[in-house]
Amino acid sequence: MRIPLLVLALPLAVAAQSLSDFEKKVTGFTLPNGMHFIVVQRPSAPVVSMHTYVNVGSVDDPKGQTGMAHMFEHMAFKGTPRIGTRNGAAEKAALAEVERIYDQLEQERRKGRAASQARLADLEKTLRAAIEKANSFVEPNEFDRIIEESGGVGLNASTGMDATEYYYSLPSNRIELWFLMESQRFLNPVLREFYKERDVVREERRMRIESSPQGKLVEALISVAFSAHPYRNMPGGWASDIENLRARDAVPFYRNYYTPGNITIGIAGDVDPARIKALAARYFGPLPPGPLPDPVVTVEPPQEGERRVTIETAAQPLMLIGYKTPAETHPDSPAIDVLSLILSGGRTSLMYREMVQDKKIALAAQTQPDFPDGKYPGLFLVFLVPAMGHSLEENEKAAYAIIERLQKEPVDAATLNRVKTQIRAGLVRRLASNSGLAAQLPAYHVAYGDWRKLFTAIEDIDKVTAEDVQRVAKTYLTKNRRTVAHTVAPEGGAK
Amino acid sequence: MLTSVCLAQAPAARQATPAMPMPAGLKYPPLKPVVIPEPAVVKLSNGMRVYLLENHELPLVSGVALVRTGNLFDPADKRGLADMTGTVMRSGGAKSKSGEQIDLELENIAASVESSIGETSGSVSFSSLRENAGRVLELMRDIMQDPEFRADKVDLAKRQYRGAISRRNDEASDIAGREFASIVYGRDNPYGWQIEYEHIDRIRREDLQAFHQRYFFPANVMLAVYGDFDTAAMKQQLEKIFGEWKAQQPPVPPFPKPPDAFSPGVYLAVKPDVTQSFLQLGHWGGTLRDPDYPALEVAANILGSGFSSRLVNRVRTQLGYAYNVGAAWGANYNHRGLFQISGSTKSATTVETLQVIREEVEKMRALEVTPRELETAKQTILNGFVFNFDSPSKTLSRLLQYEYHGYPKDFLFQYQKAVAAVTRADVLRVAKQYWSPDKLTILAVGNPKEFGKPLNTLGPVRAIDLTIPEPPRETKATPDSLKQGAALRERMREAMGSLAKLSAVRDLSRSVEMAVAGGPAPGMKIRQRTLLLRPNILRQEQELPFGKVIVYSDGQTGWLSAPQGMQPMSPPVLEQVRGEMFRTLPWLLSEEGLQANLVGPGAIEISSAAGAARLEIDDLSGLPKRMIYSAPGASAAPDARIVETFSDWRDVGGIQLPFAITVEQGGKKFGDMTVSELRINSDLKAEELAKKP
Repeated sequence: MRIPLLVLALPLAVAAQSLSDFEKKVTGFTLPNGMHFIVVQRPSAPVVSMHTYVNVGSVDDPKGQTGMAHMFEHMAFKGTPRIGTRNGAAEKAALAEVERIYDQLEQERRKGRAASQARLADLEKTLRAAIEKANSFVEPNEFDRIIEESGGVGLNASTGMDATEYYYSLPSNRIELWFLMESQRFLNPVLREFYKERDVVREERRMRIESSPQGKLVEALISVAFSAHPYRNMPGGWASDIENLRARDAVPFYRNYYTPGNITIGIAGDVDPARIKALAARYFGPLPPGPLPDPVVTVEPPQEGERRVTIETAAQPLMLIGYKTPAETHPDSPAIDVLSLILSGGRTSLMYREMVQDKKIALAAQTQPDFPDGKYPGLFLVFLVPAMGHSLEENEKAAYAIIERLQKEPVDAATLNRVKTQIRAGLVRRLASNSGLAAQLPAYHVAYGDWRKLFTAIEDIDKVTAEDVQRVAKTYLTKNRRTVAHTVAPEGGAK
Repeated sequence: MLTSVCLAQAPAARQATPAMPMPAGLKYPPLKPVVIPEPAVVKLSNGMRVYLLENHELPLVSGVALVRTGNLFDPADKRGLADMTGTVMRSGGAKSKSGEQIDLELENIAASVESSIGETSGSVSFSSLRENAGRVLELMRDIMQDPEFRADKVDLAKRQYRGAISRRNDEASDIAGREFASIVYGRDNPYGWQIEYEHIDRIRREDLQAFHQRYFFPANVMLAVYGDFDTAAMKQQLEKIFGEWKAQQPPVPPFPKPPDAFSPGVYLAVKPDVTQSFLQLGHWGGTLRDPDYPALEVAANILGSGFSSRLVNRVRTQLGYAYNVGAAWGANYNHRGLFQISGSTKSATTVETLQVIREEVEKMRALEVTPRELETAKQTILNGFVFNFDSPSKTLSRLLQYEYHGYPKDFLFQYQKAVAAVTRADVLRVAKQYWSPDKLTILAVGNPKEFGKPLNTLGPVRAIDLTIPEPPRETKATPDSLKQGAALRERMREAMGSLAKLSAVRDLSRSVEMAVAGGPAPGMKIRQRTLLLRPNILRQEQELPFGKVIVYSDGQTGWLSAPQGMQPMSPPVLEQVRGEMFRTLPWLLSEEGLQANLVGPGAIEISSAAGAARLEIDDLSGLPKRMIYSAPGASAAPDARIVETFSDWRDVGGIQLPFAITVEQGGKKFGDMTVSELRINSDLKAEELAKKP
């Protein structure tokens, strides 16, 4: 899951000459089955970073199965019919048996009060035994072991609202290993150890959400801000959904969304593009093409008044304010990005100066556009952490006063230029990292249809005027687009 | 209904796939040789050492000045001073420009200068587009050489600090990491102590100025610059910018060493509002210099680094107990780090998870690892070695760190060679030698009400008090505070039993073992048997290294018997005995006629002619969690205070009594008392207690 709160992701852009230099090093190609590759040649060190961007996220979780995209991401590390097993054939039969018994158990449960308790107990016992049997064939964590032993670093994956991403880096002479491992896990995933991994995923939710005041507050915010759109569910899913996820249901999910046309790969490092193309055809060519999946059709209806939600916690006060804003591809997005930096980018930003430094009422006051993600209309987020002896109410008022000023008068030219300069320099700094490039180029390709947007976005930023900033502040940062989530002390003192 | 979850055979097209090699069957070309850049090293006329490394890939220049200082030099009463100095150097501006002016100038050119002071070093770093490098270096110099520490920014930093202190118990994972370090390093030294409101309140602008002056001088600075410049021109430019800085100071002394002793055991910090427990296990780590460091890295890798380690395999993959579990052999450059196993699991499986982790550590000490495990761990380190050189700036910063800490330039290559030579026997040997089961300390942060098995399954449990001490202030009794104090005392009485049950305690006999941690005789163990008969008779027998000591008193008079002979009780000892009687928990809470005054949130003070004691309630259980009182005869200064922290509560004849007590004096740990036997109303006779040896 990637919902960074304190680290704000900047929008991107760069100077034109950097782009033309850089463009020469970038190759893009599409396999006949629809899978797209973007390759950046950076020969300065014999290493390479790979990033698989699958255009499926928690917004695509089926009904009653929130957390499925995330669950599948975990399963993608379980191996293939040959990697991760001691006996592929026997294991296959054992996994089928697990599902057969689980189906029977669910059938019995569906009888409700007429269900036989004895039969339920019996089936539960049989299911446990079947799971243990299937697990007995597993060579645990073999997929990870092979990669780590080969010098793979940064091996991980994340599931966001919009996308699921898989990534690591290798010494560049071992790039073929990545092709083998990555293609096989998406060609032939085996959903082994599904029900143990389900417990792990449940633990992840306990760690990130249930045991963290900040996590709980984010969950409260989005579940109230969005009444219809699936941005209302955290990528990890709801506890009861997770506890009922089935391997049986992960199969159609995988078939729908892990089609080659829905996958974009970024590779950056000391590689030969011609060889990458040949390896891609050999290893990923066999993935059968499939139709592109349905997008989310649910559109969040207009909000007709401020919404407020609280969570009780003994922790110190926190507040999140989310304003409904359009998707990241909307023409107003560059102006919203600039607005966000004016408010909280760096030490000269309005909120830092006024709330943290001068009035000293906040420990932190930050903003973030495109929250929780950018593919669909989301939120412009304001995050407030009051200083000791200062209330949430006082902080909320101060934040509104700053926003109102931006709505009343255009921002001065010096401030606007400063923000644009920062965006430009930020992009140049990003070019220095293989893993950063491998991650960003596919994301831009998917969002805008062209990785060059990573660089040409600066032109859109340059066109933003003070009037634009004022206009988007007036249009979007309004009371009836607002949802406020904050903590309150438990009634009757600490629990 | 689908009968198989093995997807390989589902769509027909996929069966036609040509056979793919297995990973082991792949042949790789040799890795291209790594080009390791050689930085230019120069000394400026003022003694400052400079390291320069050109790189023209991007039009950027960046760098860092490393300064020999650190928060290990914080004074005990002004903890946080080093860190605050690092913060306000930058925010408080230089003589020439205010912090805000510098902010504006830097951000206008998308550059940055930041300063900070950590545990064993301070740093001032910068980053700039090529064309602005000269100007940014000048600003960096001003911040380093002439910081103004403007008062409003000192005030801001202090407020930020207080805010951070007030929030330090909000996230359970933060608590676990912090408290574990405090347990192992101890709370009385800069490695393990905590910064409290009182320390921040004491820090003044002059303190920051003095701290800066002592440590920021050219001979104490190493400056590394990296990026798009010409080395010869940069040398000249740096001489011009920094050459006039002539400050001198005596060489900085070595850092204090962490103490050797700590109190291993099982610790609990209660955090009621979580569904997971955050766990830490471990003890001392080592240093990078240790010849066994490479073998320990391999051993820790097999135990718990990466997705294919034993801990991930067992705790996460097989049991599904945790999302997050792992181990690290903590090695620092020049002082011992922390050997640390961390994880988090749902409250109900807290104890099981800890047991499994302990078993896995034991297995590492009992049997050699498999050849394949050894190979995987070594190959992971050796094949990933090239990532140490994937950017030239890594080479530069490594060189700087090695020089700063006095390590050989080729340390990393020595390490590589040593890892390649590690054997299974080495792994077993270092696991046996360095991972010590009797020192293995366990910390659980979570909600013990939800633990499946009680934590004391693992051993006697010591409570960690997370209360954030308020700055000291006056407390006066008002009708209201007395009323609230009485209510709080009533809650404690109910939690321990009831007023009736506590009042009915006529006598109490208790055997304890005290492991002395501090004071004049650290490491000493004292066995103590105490017999108390209400209202005022006490007999205490102690086994000391030099013999047996017996103390008897009836509250008015008494005697003391030691191997040297008998003597009447002196008035100070008598006063001590009276205090002890007064503070005996069932009596302190049930004695008639004593007032309980509310003196803070969840804290009451009960006083009589025999003394005064502050009791703090554990909000979850209602039991007293700490008792604080002044050592008799000592001044009322805070450092003379004795703090007893109670845990391991058990039922004794219908009332709850603590079986583990941690004693601190003047903020330093004095010792741990473990009760081996505790009885009430066993019909003690005054004559027997008075019997002379």
